[in-house]
Amino acid sequence: MIAVEGVVKRFGAQAVLNGVSLTVAPGEVVTILGSSGSGKSTLIRCINGLERLDGGRITVDGLDVANPRQLAQARRLSATVFQLFNLYPHMTVLRNVTLAPEVVLKRPGAEVEAEARALLASVGLADRADAYPAQLSGGQRQRVGICRALAMNPRYLLLDEVTSALDPEMTAEVLAILGRLVSAGTTMVFVTHEVEFARRISTRIVFLDHGRLIVDLPTDQFFADAGGMAHPRIKQFLSKMTPVGGQS
Amino acid sequence: MPFDLTVLLPHLDALLAGALLTAEVCALGILGAFALGTGLGTAATAGGWPGRLARLYVDVFRNVPFVVQVFFLYYGLPEVGVYIDAFWTGALALTLVGGAYASDVVRSGVLAVEPGVVEAARVSGLTRLDVFRRIVLPIALRTAIQPLGSIFVNMVLSSSILSMITLDEVTGMAKGVAAQTYRPFEVYAFLLVAYAGLTYAVSLGIGALHRHLNRHMVAGGGGRA
Ligand SMILES: Nc1ncnc2c1ncn2[C@@H]1O[C@H](COP(=O)(O)OP(=O)(O)OP(=O)(O)O)[C@@H](O)[C@H]1O
Ligand SMILES: [Mg+2]
Repeated sequence: MIAVEGVVKRFGAQAVLNGVSLTVAPGEVVTILGSSGSGKSTLIRCINGLERLDGGRITVDGLDVANPRQLAQARRLSATVFQLFNLYPHMTVLRNVTLAPEVVLKRPGAEVEAEARALLASVGLADRADAYPAQLSGGQRQRVGICRALAMNPRYLLLDEVTSALDPEMTAEVLAILGRLVSAGTTMVFVTHEVEFARRISTRIVFLDHGRLIVDLPTDQFFADAGGMAHPRIKQFLSKMTPVGGQS
Repeated sequence: MPFDLTVLLPHLDALLAGALLTAEVCALGILGAFALGTGLGTAATAGGWPGRLARLYVDVFRNVPFVVQVFFLYYGLPEVGVYIDAFWTGALALTLVGGAYASDVVRSGVLAVEPGVVEAARVSGLTRLDVFRRIVLPIALRTAIQPLGSIFVNMVLSSSILSMITLDEVTGMAKGVAAQTYRPFEVYAFLLVAYAGLTYAVSLGIGALHRHLNRHMVAGGGGRA
């Protein structure tokens, strides 16, 4: 379980996260919604240990991410997919995927490579294993990013706006892959602006507003008039996100 | 006196031996400067005393004339019981000064590595050392290799003063031959060509290395864009 307890994160005087609490149990898909600057990325970066907490506590299966040794362990349990892919530009697609399983998990190279090739094949990139990131389209790069994360066999997948740098067609490709992962039971913390997609795949939706988590509800209740929609901030947010005429 | 290169023939062996010595001392200096510059440049990006120390080193060695460093090593150090022969003094001096310049280039290369790429590596569980060795440094050196090339070329040029510590490198040999033959025009013409050849070889090598290392780093580099 990922447990976020009363987390405070400040940049200078600004409290970007202000007492955020949240749990993600195995098997859940928790989507974080919120307007730009509300602290979504910061929350993900606190969970994977890229930001130091100014208050509160985050544990991943009991491992405290504020403790360097425990963070090292926790990082084997979760994997992150980034908005801008962040692939290793000097390595082939295959090496991007095999690096951490080999070096961090110390698994045998041949086995890791076979798994990596299978992963790449599952996202339609079997023939691009020897290409370099610069030779791929954005959608292909993000599919590699997903394979790189999955190669670690993570219990938790953290995804921060993984489609917002992609055009609609590539977005559809990547969302289809994420949909399959959800069906396979992958646990996810999912930051997105794809509200309709989130609605379909999420078990719960939480809403961040100026660093406070104002709503944490099962998906259907989040979209119910008496649930999340009762909050003016959320109603306003969703009306901006959902195309006119779409369901809301 | 007409221009007559044949006057050099009796001295060609000596001149070529000098050129070879220059090439050797520079090759060692370049390797040393690359290693030292990589270490210092990395340290310079760190906080705390390693960073301060590295930056201090760079400032000192860039602000003292090369010939003064060479004299200090060759004539100064024996006073405190450290003897190094002329060849190794030359290689060491080139390493020390080249390393200072290379350090700055490597430092910029390290700072230019995309933070998101480094974060991806950290988050994947790689240790700090592995992140540095496998991700940061290889990417940084790919950006640094070209500016490093100009530093290496400058080192070849600087090596021409090493005859002042009795090293028989090509400039020193040329001076000797010119004095013997009274044909400074031909001798120094040879010297010009020798340095142009040496520095051109360095540039060519670095250019090839740069293209090789970066062949996949930009869109369209060999595959589908
Ligand atoms: N390293 C940083 N230094 C200073 N301020 C920061 C830093 N990172 C984030 N912030 C600030 O923290 C706030 C929250 O940023 P964050 O990136 O978490 O928002 P977000 O919800 O992910 O927004 P978006 O939807 O635009 O991605 C913003 O006001 C941002 O300017
Ligand atoms: Mg964000």
